[in-house]
Amino acid sequence: MGVRRRSEQCVTLYNPSKAYNGYTIIWVEMSKDAWLIDMRGYIVHRWRMPGSPGLHGRLLRDGNLVSSVLVKTKRELGLSGQFSGLGGLLVEVDWEGNTLWEHKAPYQEHDFYRMDNGNTLYISWDPEGHVPPDIAAKIKGGMPGTDHKGVMWGDVVREVNPAGEEVWKWLAYEHLDPEIDILCPLSNRGLYPCINSVFGMPDGDVLISMRHTDTVGIIDKATGDVKWRWGPGEIGHQHDASLLDNGNVLLFDNGCQRRGYGPTYSRVVEVNPATGKIEWEYKSNPPTDFYTATMGGCERLPNGNTLITESMKGRVFEVTPEGEMVWEYVVPFYHWFEFPHQYHGEWINALFRAHRYAPDYAGLQGRDLDPKKFDWVNRVYGPDAFRKEVV
Amino acid sequence: MSAQTITQESVTISKHPTSYSGYTLFAPLGGKDVWLIDMRGRVVHQWSMAYPPRLYGVLLESGNLLYAGKVNDSPLVDFEGGGGILLEVDWDGNPVWKYEDRYMHHAFYRMKNGNTMIVKWVPVPDNIAAKVKGGLPGTEMKGGMWADAFQEVTVEGKVAWEWLAYEHLDPEVDYICPLCERDEWTHASACVVMSDGNILASFSKTHTVAIIDRNTGEVRWRWGRGEIAHQNDAIVLRSGNILIFDNDVHATPYSMGFSRILEVNPKTNEMVWSYEDELRTNFYSSIMGSCQRLPNGNTLICETTTGRIFEVSPKRDIVWEFNSPFFHQSSIYGRNNYIARAYRYGSDYAGLKGNIKFREEDEPHVEGVDASRTEQAVRRRIDSLGY
Repeated sequence: MGVRRRSEQCVTLYNPSKAYNGYTIIWVEMSKDAWLIDMRGYIVHRWRMPGSPGLHGRLLRDGNLVSSVLVKTKRELGLSGQFSGLGGLLVEVDWEGNTLWEHKAPYQEHDFYRMDNGNTLYISWDPEGHVPPDIAAKIKGGMPGTDHKGVMWGDVVREVNPAGEEVWKWLAYEHLDPEIDILCPLSNRGLYPCINSVFGMPDGDVLISMRHTDTVGIIDKATGDVKWRWGPGEIGHQHDASLLDNGNVLLFDNGCQRRGYGPTYSRVVEVNPATGKIEWEYKSNPPTDFYTATMGGCERLPNGNTLITESMKGRVFEVTPEGEMVWEYVVPFYHWFEFPHQYHGEWINALFRAHRYAPDYAGLQGRDLDPKKFDWVNRVYGPDAFRKEVV
Repeated sequence: MSAQTITQESVTISKHPTSYSGYTLFAPLGGKDVWLIDMRGRVVHQWSMAYPPRLYGVLLESGNLLYAGKVNDSPLVDFEGGGGILLEVDWDGNPVWKYEDRYMHHAFYRMKNGNTMIVKWVPVPDNIAAKVKGGLPGTEMKGGMWADAFQEVTVEGKVAWEWLAYEHLDPEVDYICPLCERDEWTHASACVVMSDGNILASFSKTHTVAIIDRNTGEVRWRWGRGEIAHQNDAIVLRSGNILIFDNDVHATPYSMGFSRILEVNPKTNEMVWSYEDELRTNFYSSIMGSCQRLPNGNTLICETTTGRIFEVSPKRDIVWEFNSPFFHQSSIYGRNNYIARAYRYGSDYAGLKGNIKFREEDEPHVEGVDASRTEQAVRRRIDSLGY
């Protein structure tokens, strides 16, 4: 372990006058505890979840936490290492952690989105999405001969209502264009196109991020057509595309497998879908100081700041529109994680996405947010545990 | 810059009994200085050069510094790693020897006979370039492609031997990484003359480390495709094994975001040792980087893009760690403390005899590190230099 990088934990930077003050959900990979922390890093609430994240949870306005949790590992489902990001169970719990709603979807992966009408969108790798061989043969790109046991798994986006009935589905292979939606030349041909975020737009359309084609796209809800595409040549294996109030799309450009030879870095970009132009971006200085090859999250906050999750570094930070960092948190919780591919497991403090809620957020009204309740945890993981002695 | 990376002292760990005691040489990429520091991070010597490093310098047994600098008017300015001038200076910085070739890049090697093996770019004939597979279509430089040449340069500056990559590499087997431009075929990032005269080379853009037969020019050994990705440094160990800095960029099926040091037996292609961080993503440099096996079996690693130089034991414990306080502004890299390579020289190294006046042994032994003192000393040094 790099001694330097291990030495900074919890909140390492906080500028109260510029930050969007509130509470942040920190739910670490492989942990059954989803923590809510305040701006100083004190734990103020815990949800004891029925599983580890698959891969994150959001606090609803009614105070419930809706999330996807990992049920069966990819090994148990007979999937190879490339199927990273499995969940399997969509679950809504109340403040005390009691299950109010659940929907079993064994192949659910990466992301979900709770819509205003109460329905839930989610992504799935299920057998219905298997790409028919004649279509698979037409799909360009990828490393030859790398399909998954003779099959190319295509993503499916599904929508279920509160009763658990499916009201809409979208099969990637039916609507993507093999000539346009080309796999990254180094990708395995076992996954197409590896959708890793889904976002329900107010007009009903669906914004998705397709990792292995380096593309974010908008699906026309009525026809299933991909009515907007952006990304190839600009971004690399991006995550977390969301629609902003100004109509722009915010996304996390990992920079993994970005075209060209040179230093690798991640960035958060805001792109105008009408023009395809990047209107705002955040990079570190030097850019190589901010990089996560896998996962990654970005969330535009009501005051214009952006909350960024540098997943594999276990780092969550907030930047102003000018790119000034005003809050930084390094996750102090480590959990054992079995790595995909040939690598042995390791203790990681990674998380998929963090979410921030202001004290006046409807879902937090009337809640007990006193850190003293978690005195014992805060003594180990709170800021006092990491405070440096002043000489 | 995250708060994590600016609040720390320079030497964050130093376990004296297990580290290989000596002096560490490095040249921050944005400056024009070469620094020699002791195990506590104290600067014991400085060379001020006329050119910024591309990429590094080494201390010869004579006590001279052999250093590759970057000239301003390199014709291939868009290529990463371009240098152009080799300078040999004595301990006090007086010029001893120099060699200029504006196409030189990345690496050099001072041979036992006093000659110097250099790495340079040469244009690939169009008929061969057309056959080279891989790369992003249509990304040749003004229609052309460049590849590496290794040249043995005598003390008089004559080219005594030459090897051209495009004559000996296979356009089908040695294909360019599919996510890279076709302006450059091979991108040699390391070149070492082995004791038998053959040459060990690291071709970063083809994900391949190779041993080249000095007599025939043929590639006798090739390794790396599917195992490593855009690796940089490669050296040969006394055992005959090869030590490689595997950066992990453009890996298949995708990069996980961590670098590794790999020791490979070229006879069996087995990996006999590797280093990766306990939390793997905590050791990563997408560009450059160096690895050096020390006489006591430890390995000195330079993690370029974090400005970190550290030493690990065979059991992968970090026994010494230095975080460079030398920051520079660069139009390409931003405000950075990048260091391309670092080398450790033992206290008994011939090139240090009589030169080091400030010996560690003269100081009372202190367990751990007086970091504040180191910090102050380096800060003063930096202030006095007007950084």
